[in-house]
Amino acid sequence: MPNADSQSIVKIDRPLHPTVLGVPFVCFVAALITDIAYAQTFDVIWKNFSDWLLAGGIIVGALAAIVGLVDLARPSVRSNWLIWPYAAAYAIAMILGLFDNLVHSRDAYGAMPAGLVLTVLTVLALVIAAFIGVPLMRTAVRKVVR
Amino acid sequence: MRRIVLAAGISLALAACAKKGADPERQIGPNPPLPAISQYLVPPMHVIPPTPWGSASPSVPADLKVQPFATGLAHPRSIYTLPNGDVLVVETDGPPEPIHRPKDIVMQMIQAHGHGDAKAGMDIILLRDTNGDGIPEVHTKFLSDLNSPFGVALVGNDLYVANTDAIVRYPYQPGQTSITAPGVKLVDLPGGPIDHHYTKSLVASPDGSKLYVGVGSNSNITENGMDAERGRAAIWEVDRATGAHRLYATGLRNPNGLQFEPQADTLWTVVNERDELGPDLVPDYLTSVRDGGFYGWPYCYWGQHVDPRVRPQRPDLVAKAVVPDYSLSSHVAPLGMVFSFGAAALPSRWRSGAFVGEHGSWDRGHLNGYKVVYVPFANGRPAGKAIDVVTNFTNGQKAHGRPVGVALDKTGALLIADDLGNAVWRVSGR
Repeated sequence: MPNADSQSIVKIDRPLHPTVLGVPFVCFVAALITDIAYAQTFDVIWKNFSDWLLAGGIIVGALAAIVGLVDLARPSVRSNWLIWPYAAAYAIAMILGLFDNLVHSRDAYGAMPAGLVLTVLTVLALVIAAFIGVPLMRTAVRKVVR
Repeated sequence: MRRIVLAAGISLALAACAKKGADPERQIGPNPPLPAISQYLVPPMHVIPPTPWGSASPSVPADLKVQPFATGLAHPRSIYTLPNGDVLVVETDGPPEPIHRPKDIVMQMIQAHGHGDAKAGMDIILLRDTNGDGIPEVHTKFLSDLNSPFGVALVGNDLYVANTDAIVRYPYQPGQTSITAPGVKLVDLPGGPIDHHYTKSLVASPDGSKLYVGVGSNSNITENGMDAERGRAAIWEVDRATGAHRLYATGLRNPNGLQFEPQADTLWTVVNERDELGPDLVPDYLTSVRDGGFYGWPYCYWGQHVDPRVRPQRPDLVAKAVVPDYSLSSHVAPLGMVFSFGAAALPSRWRSGAFVGEHGSWDRGHLNGYKVVYVPFANGRPAGKAIDVVTNFTNGQKAHGRPVGVALDKTGALLIADDLGNAVWRVSGR
């Protein structure tokens, strides 16, 4: 039977952030659709849709980031190594999203093609974060480690 | 690590310098050098807050003097002198613009920083200086309850006022200090609900049969859609008797200061060109207006330089765009112009050209405009560099005033409407 002194219990808790990831995710995916529509049709109504969706996405994205920072402050969340690539992917998505908002503040087609490229990259970063989030949420159990 | 930070700092500083703009003097004249287009995360911006004139006043060259003609007005922007010497001052402002994108919220906050608190009178004031001492004795409300008026023109006993949404005709008798008769609408003009450029400059043809009205665009470069630009960015020719109208010239983004050059009977205008391509693009200009001429907006500027932000493109229109006559340099915002051939109260060196009221820049690190300039003419065309005539409207950090419309009074002195200082200034010979 193992010696009680050589055992250590590592507590791993689920982060909250993946449960709110969906909100900015939907905003940026919708903006991708409207950006593609604008690039195809030149109709400014699609650009206005994009502008609002991107603004909404970065605002709720920032709120979600606060949730993520609270997660990172907890040792029991940090003890799951997957949180780091997850957080990195989300941080990159937010930086790209911010630049995307600024590029979209240009008038009419001045926002293209950089605006569409940035929206694609932002969605890509969020998809990567979502994919990391699957195993991240699955390994949230109390683990006993020797 | 230190080298990386230093390199980053220098890059940022250079980028910031690039937004300040080169010396505007280089761009004044018929062949302005045009830099390559820059597009930004945040465009160059410098909006300065207002401050009262107090004991300060504008500056003029040594052979001129400047005095306040009227103060304490309610956002005066445009001036018209009646044949009997009475001066009409239009107190006006634009309707609030709707929010269509998040950027509009931010831009409206930034622009508000540069505007004063005075609410516009939405009327026309009459000032009468009977003894010619430059101080009016009579100050009456000439016409009230107008809708963002700007241009005024008298033909015979018909006084025309260009509101933002219509030209209205009133009966006028010389000596009247106010009009109570109702106006009769001559023609509708493109107005709301956006009304991005609301000022409708107005002038009558020399024979009095036609009216020419400047209709500015409804956006910077069609970001509100092409449908919103129908009939806009153009000078209309309106038949005075019937109200029938046609587009006399198009592609002029925001034409103001419509005036006929007296020696050749040619229509001239000053135009506010587009923003957010850089501190030195696109130059605002003074130009003669050709019947049927297309001057580029929105597809191109200064002749055949294509604006990549406007889609779908129109290479056929770009090919026939007319090159304007005279650049005033970028972002000066010319809103008024008057030919000085009748400026009998000024020394002769000021009497063969045009005065231009430059409201001043926001889309540039280093300020431009905020002054009245004189463009010398010869043989009916601009000849030589523009000269600063009335300056000191801003000290660089704050603005005391901003010139808008300019006109000559009956004695031949120069009158300047100042919508930030809420005054009309009078410039005469010393």
